[in-house]
Formats: sequence, structure tokens, C-alpha cells
Amino acid sequence: MSKHHPSLIERIAEKIGLIEDLHSYEADELPRITEPGDLTNYPPPEKWDDWTEYEATSGHKRELRNYTIVPTTCFNCEAGCGLLSYIDKKTMKVRKFEGNPYHPGSRGRNCAKGPATINQINDVDRILYPMKRKGARGSGEWERVTWDQVLDDIAGRIRKALTEKRNNEVAYHVGRPGHEGFMDRILQGWGVDGHNSHTNICSAGARFGYAIWQGLDRPSPDHGNARLILLISSHLESGHYFNPHAQRIIEGMMKGAKLAVMDTRLSNTASMADYWMPTQPGSEAAVLLAMAKVILDEGMYNREFLMNWVNWQDSLGKMNPSAEVTFDNFIDEMKKAYAEYTPEFAEAESGVSKEMIVEVARLAGRAGTRLSTHNWRSAGAGNLGGWAVARCLHFLNVLTGSVGTEGGTSPSAWNKFKPKGFSTPPAQKFWNELHFPMEYPLAHYEMSFLLPHFLKEGRGKLDVYFTRVFNPVWTYPDGFTWIESLSDESKVGLHAALTPTWNETAFFADYVLPMGLASERHDLTSYETHSGMWISFRQPVLREAARKMGRETEYTYETNPGEVWEEDEFWFELSWRIDPDGSLGIRKHFESPYRPGEKITIDEYYRFIFENTKGLPEKAAEEGMTPLDYMRKYGAFEVEASVYNKHMDALSAAELEGTEVDEATGEVKKNGKVVGVMVDGVARHGFNSPSKKQEFWSETTVEWGWPEYAIPTYVKSHIHPETMTGDEIVLVPTFRLPTLIHTRSGNAKWLAEISNRNPLWMHTSDAERWGIKTGDLVRINTDIGYFVNYAWVTEGMKPGVVACSHHIGRWRRSQDPGGNRWAANQVKIEQVEDGKWMMRVTQGIGAYKSDDPDTSRIFWSDGGVHQNITFPVHPDPISGMHCWHQKVVVEKAHPGDRHGDTFVDTEKSFAIYKEWLAMTRPAPGPNGLRRPLWLGRPLKPAEELFYVNKD
Amino acid sequence: MNYGFIIDNRKCIGCHACTVACKSEHEVPIGVNRTWVKYIEKGEFPDTRRLFSVMRCNHCADAPCVEICPVTALYTREDGIVDFDDRRCIACKACTQACPYDALYMHPDTGTAAKCNYCTHRVDIGLEPACVVVCPEHAIISGDMDNPETEISKLLARETVSVRKPEKGTEPKLFYIDGDAVSLRPSEADPNTDYMWSSQSSGVGKFAKFAEERKQLNSDKTVPKKLHQIEPREKKSAKRVYDAPGKGVLWGWEVSAYILTKAIGAGAFLVPAVAGYFTEVSKTAVQIGALVSLFFLAVTGVLLIMDLGRPDRFLNVLFRPQWKSWLTRGAYIITGYGGLLTLWLGASYFGFDAVAKMVEPVTVILALLAAVYTAFLFAQAKGRDFWQSPMLGVHMLIHSVMAGAAALLAVSVFFKDVAAIAGVLLSVLAVSIAVHLITLAIELTTTHTTEDSHAVAKMILKGRFAKTFWVGMVLVGNVVPLILSLFMGATAVVPVTAVLVLVGLYAAQHIWVKAPQTISLS
Repeated sequence: MSKHHPSLIERIAEKIGLIEDLHSYEADELPRITEPGDLTNYPPPEKWDDWTEYEATSGHKRELRNYTIVPTTCFNCEAGCGLLSYIDKKTMKVRKFEGNPYHPGSRGRNCAKGPATINQINDVDRILYPMKRKGARGSGEWERVTWDQVLDDIAGRIRKALTEKRNNEVAYHVGRPGHEGFMDRILQGWGVDGHNSHTNICSAGARFGYAIWQGLDRPSPDHGNARLILLISSHLESGHYFNPHAQRIIEGMMKGAKLAVMDTRLSNTASMADYWMPTQPGSEAAVLLAMAKVILDEGMYNREFLMNWVNWQDSLGKMNPSAEVTFDNFIDEMKKAYAEYTPEFAEAESGVSKEMIVEVARLAGRAGTRLSTHNWRSAGAGNLGGWAVARCLHFLNVLTGSVGTEGGTSPSAWNKFKPKGFSTPPAQKFWNELHFPMEYPLAHYEMSFLLPHFLKEGRGKLDVYFTRVFNPVWTYPDGFTWIESLSDESKVGLHAALTPTWNETAFFADYVLPMGLASERHDLTSYETHSGMWISFRQPVLREAARKMGRETEYTYETNPGEVWEEDEFWFELSWRIDPDGSLGIRKHFESPYRPGEKITIDEYYRFIFENTKGLPEKAAEEGMTPLDYMRKYGAFEVEASVYNKHMDALSAAELEGTEVDEATGEVKKNGKVVGVMVDGVARHGFNSPSKKQEFWSETTVEWGWPEYAIPTYVKSHIHPETMTGDEIVLVPTFRLPTLIHTRSGNAKWLAEISNRNPLWMHTSDAERWGIKTGDLVRINTDIGYFVNYAWVTEGMKPGVVACSHHIGRWRRSQDPGGNRWAANQVKIEQVEDGKWMMRVTQGIGAYKSDDPDTSRIFWSDGGVHQNITFPVHPDPISGMHCWHQKVVVEKAHPGDRHGDTFVDTEKSFAIYKEWLAMTRPAPGPNGLRRPLWLGRPLKPAEELFYVNKD
Repeated sequence: MNYGFIIDNRKCIGCHACTVACKSEHEVPIGVNRTWVKYIEKGEFPDTRRLFSVMRCNHCADAPCVEICPVTALYTREDGIVDFDDRRCIACKACTQACPYDALYMHPDTGTAAKCNYCTHRVDIGLEPACVVVCPEHAIISGDMDNPETEISKLLARETVSVRKPEKGTEPKLFYIDGDAVSLRPSEADPNTDYMWSSQSSGVGKFAKFAEERKQLNSDKTVPKKLHQIEPREKKSAKRVYDAPGKGVLWGWEVSAYILTKAIGAGAFLVPAVAGYFTEVSKTAVQIGALVSLFFLAVTGVLLIMDLGRPDRFLNVLFRPQWKSWLTRGAYIITGYGGLLTLWLGASYFGFDAVAKMVEPVTVILALLAAVYTAFLFAQAKGRDFWQSPMLGVHMLIHSVMAGAAALLAVSVFFKDVAAIAGVLLSVLAVSIAVHLITLAIELTTTHTTEDSHAVAKMILKGRFAKTFWVGMVLVGNVVPLILSLFMGATAVVPVTAVLVLVGLYAAQHIWVKAPQTISLS
């Protein structure tokens, strides 16, 4: 640091006390960790236990802070990026979060949400103690209770349900997942089919599209090595897995890859793209099939891959039984099948120029095995038949042979680690039809957003309902129906909200149980962020810091703020108390693998997993550590650096034992089950489809009543222009911002100050047609109500389509706790008539006094509008995906309308639920099955439960 | 060693991670930023693009903030980093005017200025700045530009780079690869209070204290008075769609008022003293002028201290001097002038004529300097193009003469010695007004060559300041007094004339101080 040399006049003035003496103070000088002029990104790990740096805010005083650095995993979006927490040893508080350079997915770098974690930790509105409601449910009155009271009450209730065989009345509904396999142990340990998730408001469409090809339901693109990156997503700003993917997309581009992005609006990603393809919502599959046609017609397909790894003989046989079974005939048959998908047709459907479609198609063809693609939500989540988007996208990977290759797109499971537990409870003997109803045999997965309608119809009830970091009242469509259901104690007996922060759903709970944020809990995460495979350890960093200093604790809430706990320990305790004497057979699944008969500890649980993780014990031993200590110190471990072409893996001798080969199909069978496939004369693992190959022709769709979708097809969306009447226009309500993630990123002031409104995007020409300018109030009418928002006129929107960002428009009623005052408007909710709900903002966001001086500096007041609550449910009859896009009528606001107004008629929403339900083709399928055995299903019950008659 | 930054726009995805990591590292208050990302949209559908630009201190090789800082709170380190020591800062806000890049803000708690300091507390132990470490794309590159082996040096050698506002001669050391002019030039797309996912309805930084007054329904979109609204300019092809909140007009009425009181303080002595060399002016009249001057100099001092965010540190200007700063020089000029004037007055009153005679020419020179030095200070405020006008000094001098003559005319009612020279004063006033009008015409029509200063001139002549300008300044402050002084003679309307001139002069200072500050710098 350059020293300041005071002038004579200053020195004299300081000496005689006219001004403060700034020069007598000498700051301690710290040693450099690099040569002068060189800079590095992180302190070396050998110094993490005792790291001293200057406190930035002390400026030239250069105060020293001594930290212990403990890694953990971010808890905002699902990507699970690594974080390092800097724990001040004097105050035992986290000062800041930086990235973890030892995390293979995020590699020490983060998006805005990573460092903002510190806001959530220190937020003045966070929940510090377990709370129980006092008045009626939803009345907003709460009292503090002890964890003991909570555990005893809930455990008693669950025990009663289980002993009375009401297992299907116990359910766990997860919003933010991410503790690998943990809940399966809990729920199967209890013997309940109680797993419900958020999947089918998120990724069910894309999952089905991928699963129907290969039995594996997520894509894992190798963007960093691709030649063409084709996204039906906005992965340079959001999505699974934003930061890790964004790093590798740009790396790929810097190495010469081209980026093509299909998106109706100009996302930041689209803006970075070489080709922005602003498709009419729902037309994406048409464009993709036109691209497939170009690749087929111009002979750019990968003959070898198609011959070896596509079920072409079967497909040809089904498509044209009279044709001779030759590969060229298969190609011809495909050409015939897609003859109508000309670039002209695709242009007419999508609005994207045919020249661009052909150009991108040729780039895809030339990219060959280095074509990386991705669809997760976006079009796949917006449209009736949205699953066809992922299916047609993957078709391009199949045609170019870029499945599982370097620079291509792998099935996710190849890059995702599955931990080995110390014992596996047996599959449950229950099938919960509230989660997997007969109408949706192919759904990916639980029909979670129909739950309140199922309850309303009397299909069942819930006695104990856990919501875990889950906020359906706000995030889901038709939130008022959720409010109606959650308020009805005859339908939901007890609702326990496990959440780090107050949210709109927790307002309607009986217990609000504060669970830790990123640095306050244990979890294990592993995601397919790239071609490698890794695990990341989320840990309560203050507990770990205390342990390093010699203070062991029994429960995480002892070191967390207030009595904030974590779910893992909560579930262990709860399970133990459900079955204290072991008579229900539950307790044994929660006994220590190291101390027989005693209750497992959290350390033992993770110790066992890490001791049984491939390569981890060896890596830890290199550093003279136990596997658990290694993970405590580094927070992450790379199980494999890169994984390609796993379908080519040969069956091992053990796997081959007792198998026979079906000469006609090449299938390798054991006990009647296909376990591999012969390719090039070798028995290989192949993919997870029934044929172990990529299934161009899907017999499953035929068997389950959808023969029209036997091969990759374009499905016209519920918002296809042909279905529009009058002034109807499409609303794209799904787009996300780089700074936020659903309601999970709430309570982060630095994120709220960047993003705090969600005006309605519209193209200049539409705005002119409606006589609307930026800033005008508009009323957006949906099928069940309306919302009132400001207009945002832009050239970054496709004409004829409007869009409104997700995330913003949070609320709380006057009786509710502060919750999240950075982002939540205060509202009044009134049921003006039976089922007719009106919400109006009574006080916008504004500055207020608190322990955090920043609350008095809140400079925004808009807070946005809650749009999702005005949407009816649109369950896709096949994938079960909620089809987010809405037909709306946009008009100038009516007199008396105010920004933030929402109105909904839940009777109308119920009628629309019924309309969509009528579109289904229910189970049973072949052999009286509820669901194809080969398709994935979370928490798979015992096989006999798949058959209706054996229920 | 010479540290610099590269922002690689081939890679920047506009994710705001740098913004938040910086907030975390430095605990930057809500509303203000050491680094932020501006979004610009350009083009027509479907040929539309959104451009992201990371904005922050440019660590200029020739940093205007360092030159203008009166107390060396801002300084350039040996390794090229422009750092600041907030213990020295008096919060005069001159740096916010000097920086052409809008890099500085006023901390709402300490009141002092702050900006990106390249994380010197990290760099000094060998760590990269927090924004560099967090960036998912490695789009922010830091390093020593003197060492040819560093990544930054290699990129600078190989790639085409651009900087913001090279014409300012500040030699910025923040380089953009693929920097688009639409993004880097603030005038290409105007700032707003409502963006695509953010909005501002109350002040930040210095004005954050007013935020709590804004607790009201969000249907009310009025912007509080303390938060300036940017003048809408002609229709642009590009649109600013995200930006950090506007920091407001940081030099407010205190500065406008100080220029006026200082003009009186200089002119009330200067006019009779100089007039005395050409015509009969009684000693008493000059003494009264000196008294008026001393009074207004005292008011000037009060206003100057009032305007400081840290009035408790006002002595730093004198005792931690940074001699290149015209704030420091001005403080010494005013102090020196005030001292000499007191000496002159005492000597002259008590009959030490020899002393008075000796002191008088120096005092007159200091009065002249006091009248015009603010023009040099404003010229040091490189961020404001309009203040770079060579006419500014001339204006200040004329304003002083007008103010001095007017102030004396106003008090002539009470002092017959002053009344005795009312004719002289009126002539001086009339001539100075005439000259003023001519220079004003030149000023506003010909000398503003840059886009920003042209925009200010337009704002004054036709825009939001037009009423204040044409009615307040020209009509009330110049034309009417000119007519009155030419045709009404030394009658009862003299004090009215004087007051009108002073009102007009305040209007002038108000416009000249405020209007340029409404131009967006980033």
C-alpha cells in the first residue's frame, strides 16, 4: 500500500490538534500470497483454517479480520454451485460468501445469487424460531413453540395415520429439491407413497420428451466442446444450470461454436446469440422438424449412429410394414414422414425466416457429433404438447449422432452421482392417487398442481402435509384455489411449512418451521452441469467452524441463528419419534450403521456416503484425511472428470451371466428383462428405453393410447393462432431474470434492488394498435380473471405476443409477518362472492426503519404484480406438464383499476381443470398397468402396485 | 506496476454478479454502486440486441477526481490504482462532478464519497478484486499492464479495445473489448426512472434519507422533488433498459447561493474600489462596500460548510491541502481576501492610510480572483461539458461586478455616501448588464461544441430551464434592470432594480449549476 506522506502544514495541524491525526496509526501489514504484481483468485486451502485479510469497509484503517473458511453449496437455484463462507472467528458470524474453486461445476465462480446469500442469512424478516398458528388457519396469528413440541405433535399424528393404514394421507411436497436420495429413505422408511414435487410446473414436458426417446429424462449438454449450441432456453441468464452452463456456453463460443436460441422474447441469451430465432410460442417443434428435414434431405445425418443406436428396424416395420427392412428404406420413410415440414411451413408457423431455419439446420448438420442442445422449461413448459419440443430437439441430436459424445448432449444420469445409502428401506406398498392419478399414466411426474382440485373433488384428503421450500400459493397457477384448499382443515389436516423464509404458502400453515439456508444445513447435491460428474456438500458452516475449534454440537440449531434447524436432522428425529420402540419397523432405518441400535447422527449419515463414493476415500487419503473430513474441508469432489458414450459400455462378465440374446432384435435379456443390446457384436448397456436404443418409433405412446404421437411430431399448442378468437393474444409468463429464482431468492436486498418490477412486455406495433405507451396501466384478462400491470414497450418482443416476467409480485396481507419487505407489497384479499377473489395492493414497497440501515434506503415502490394466481391449470394430457402460456386479452386499465390488482373466479378455474382433464386417455394400459414399468417415477413403489387389479 | 481492467463484452452476459459481489465485499449501501451493469437495447425487431456494459471507476492515468479533490482523499497509487481515503474526505462532491464516468457516489451514512478502489485491500495481499473472482464468464480481467506476460497485457496487445469518453483526456485504464458506442456513450440512450425490471421512486446516496418519506401507494408515480428527473432528449435509436438508480443533483442550492454571495463578496468592494481610480468615490463608500463584502464572504463561508457532507471536517481544506484543486486554492483565496479586506478596512477606518494604500491593490487582485476562481473549479469538473466553457470566467467576473453594484445600490437607501455614487453604480450596472447579455448570447449560441453542452444550452433556451432563464434571468435580472437603470435614474426604483438584478443572478447560478448536472454521465 502506498503510504500517504503528509505535507508540513498537515503535520503541524495534526500535531496541534486542529484536525484529526491520521498518521500516528500504523496498520499491521499482511504478507502477500503471490509475487508483487501477480494476483490469484482464492486463498490457498492450507490457509483456510486461519485466514487473515484486511476488512474492506475499514478503508485506510486496514483493520484485520481473522477467518475460518468453510465451503458449502448455494441454495438459491438448483445448480448447486460451490460457496466459501468466511466466518469471523471473533464474532462467529459469516462475513461473506465467495465461490468455491474446488467445485467442479461452478469452478469458483457464481452468479449474483451466490454472494447475495449473506443477505438472506442476515435478513431482518427471516424466521428464527418454530412457529405455531394461534387463531384460524391463515389468520396471521403465531406463537413461538419448541422443536420438541413440534416433533411430538407431528410424530404422534403420523404414527396414528400409519397405524390406521392411512399412509396415503401423509405427504411431503418439495419445491427446491437437492438432497440426493435423502427423502426416499424417509418416506420409504415410513412406508408412504408421499413424495410430491414441483416437477410438472417446471420440467415435466421436457422430461417426457427426452424419456420417450431413451428412458432418461434430462439433457446434459457438453457446451464447452460443441460446434453448434442450440438452446430452447435462456441459459446465459437462468435455468438449470445457469452459472455452470453459462460458463461453458461462452467457453464453447470463444472456441468458435455458434449459438442459436429460440425464444419469443429477446432474452439476454438470445441477445448474445449468433442466431436469435423468435418463434411464435408453440411453434418450436415445427421449426425443429424442418431442421431435421434439411439434415435428412441433404444427407447430413450420422449414418453409423442411426444404424447402431436407433430402433430403425422396428420403426420402419411399424411405419411401413410392407417395406423391405433396409436402412435406406428407413431414411426414405423418415423423409416421407417429414415431407410436409418444409422451411416454408416452419416459417409460416413460427415467423422465423426460412433462410435462418435452413442455415441453422445446416450448422447443426455440420456440427455433427458436436451439437449440444438444451430444453428444460421454456417452450417445453409453455405449451400443450410442449413435450414434443424436447422430443424434436433431441431428434436433431439423434440424427447428427451427437448423443453422449464430446461436444454433444448426454443423458443427464451419466453426469449425476447417485449416493449409496447405508441401508435401503423397501419400496412402499402404497400408490397415492393424489399424486399419480389414473388419468395421467405417462406424467412426469406427480400431478402436483392439480392437488387442490383433487381435494376439492373429494379424491382424498391429507392428514399431514409437509411443504418444503415450496410456495404453490404464489408460484403455481390458480393460487386462490390453493388458498381455498389449504384453508380447509377437512381437506388438509395439518400443514407444516419447512422454509427458511416466510412465504405466501406458509401464511396458510399450522406450523412454520425455519430450516436453514445454504450455510445452515446439510445436503448432498450432484447435477449434470457438464460432461463430468461431481458431488457437493452443503453444510452448516457455523457448526463446522465450531467443531474445528473443538466445540462439538448435537443439533445444527445450536449454532444456527435463533433456532433455525435443518431438515436432515429434523427427519431423523421425527422418524425416531414416530416409532420410538421400533414396533412399526420404521426405527431400524434410522439406526447408525456404526453403532447398532442407536439413533444415526448426521455425521454418520454423510460419513457412510462419502466412504462409499468412488475415488473419494483415495483422494482423501492422499491428504491424510477421512472422506468426511475431506468433504468438510473442500466441499466438493469430482467423481469423474468427463463421461462420454456410456451407452457403448460393454456388459461386464457378471452382468452377462445368465443372459440370452434375442437374435431378431439384438436385445440381451436376463430373466425376461432387457439388460443390454448387441452392437458391433458386443453386448452393450445402451440407453434406458425398452429397446436400449434411441426410440424413434415409440411403441409406448401407441400402447397407452396416443398412436398419433408414435414418432417425433409437431403438436399444435393450446395457444396456436388457429385457436385464438377475437382480440386474444399469447402471454408468455415464464421468463426469468438473471438475478432471481422463483420465490427462493427472496429476502436478498441486493437482488431486490436490481430487480423489483415485472411490467408487461409488448412490441411497439402492438402498443400502437392498443394506444398504449410504456408506463401505462393495462388490464390483462385471463380465462379466470385478470391482473393489472404497467406496460413496457420494446423491440425485444415478437409482435403479437406479450410477456411478463416470473419472480416478482410477492405479497403479504396486513395481518401477516413482514416476510420479505424488500419485495412484498402489502395487499388486501377479499372474497367478494363465493369463489370470486380480489387482491389489491394497499401499500407498495417502501423504506422503513429496522436493525439494517438499508431498509430505510429502499428506493423502489413498484414491487410488481402476481400474475400466476390469475392462471387456470392446464395439465398436458400426456406429460402432465402445466402448460404455462395463456390466451389473454390486453386492454387499457379500467377506471378504478390499480397497479397490482388481481381478480380470479375459482369456479371458472375448476371448470377449466375439468376441460383439460377430459382431454386425457386414462390408465390402465397394457396388462392393467397404471404406468409403464420402464418409465421413471420418483419413489417407485413395489412393482405389484403398478398393476391396477393388484392395488 | 500499472493495474487496469478489461471488460470483455464477447463474454459478459449482464448477470450482475459483479455488482453483488462488490456490494458484499464492501458492504455498499442500497441505492449506490461501485460497479453496475447498464443495459441498452438497439435495433428493430427481429434485428434487436441488448448490450451490457459494466460501469465503474476507470482508474484514469490522469484522473480528474484526484486533481479536483481538495484534501487528497482521492489519489493515485504507485501501482496506478486510484484509491481514496474516506477519513480525509469532506464530502464536497467535487469528485462526482469531475469524474466523467459517474463512478463516485456519496455514502448515505458517512456522507463521504466512495467508488471502486480496485479492491486494494485484496490486491495488496495478492488477491484479485471481488468482481473478477465472481464473474462466471471471466469477462472482467484485472492485472498489471506493465508486465507483458499478464493476461491483460496479452489481450490488450491482441484485441481491439475502446474506452469511455477518450476525448476527456483522462486516459482511462478500463478497456472494453467489443465496446459498442451506443452503450459507452451516455447520450445515445437516456436514463429513466422505470426500466424493464427495476424502478426508482426516491433518492439514493446523498438523498437516501428521503426514502422513508415515500411510504405510499405504488399507484402514485410522482417522483420526489429531491430526485431529479432527467431531461428527455430527442428520440433516440437506442433505449436504456436497465441502469443503476440516478444519484440526483449533488450540488444543490447551497452551491448556487454560494456563487452569488461570493460574487457580492467580491464585487461590493471591487466596484467602488476600482471606480475610485477613475472617478470620485468617497472613502466611506468603499468602506461600506468592504463591510458588505465581508458580510457576504462570511455567508459564503457558511454556505460552503453547509454544503459539505462532513462539515466537521471543513478545516481539512486548509490543513490537508491539495494544491492543484481549485477548491483548496479557492479556500485560500477567500481566506486571504477576507483577511486582507479586514486589514484594509481596519487600516482605512483607523487612518493608517499608508497601510491601506499598500494593501489595497493586492486586495483588489484577490477580489478579482475570488470572483473568478469558481470558473476554474468548474473547469476542473471535467464530467460537466457545459462548465468547460472559456466564457465561464468572464461570466463570473461580470456577475461579480453586477452583484457588487446591485448590492451597493440596495444599501444606498441607508448610506448617503453610497447614494452619492448611485449614478456611477447605475452606469456600472448598465454597462455590465449589457456586456453580460452579449456574452450570454455568445455563450449559449456559439461556444458549446460537445453534444452534452449543446443539450444543456438547449435545455436552458427551450427546455425545462427556459422559464427560469427567459423570465427570471434575462427579463427580471437583466432587461428590466437595464431599462430601469438607463431611463429611471437615481430614484426610488434603485433598490428595486438592485433586487431584480440579484434575483436574476440567483436564477443564473441556479441554472448554470443545476442544468449540467442533469446530463447523464454513464
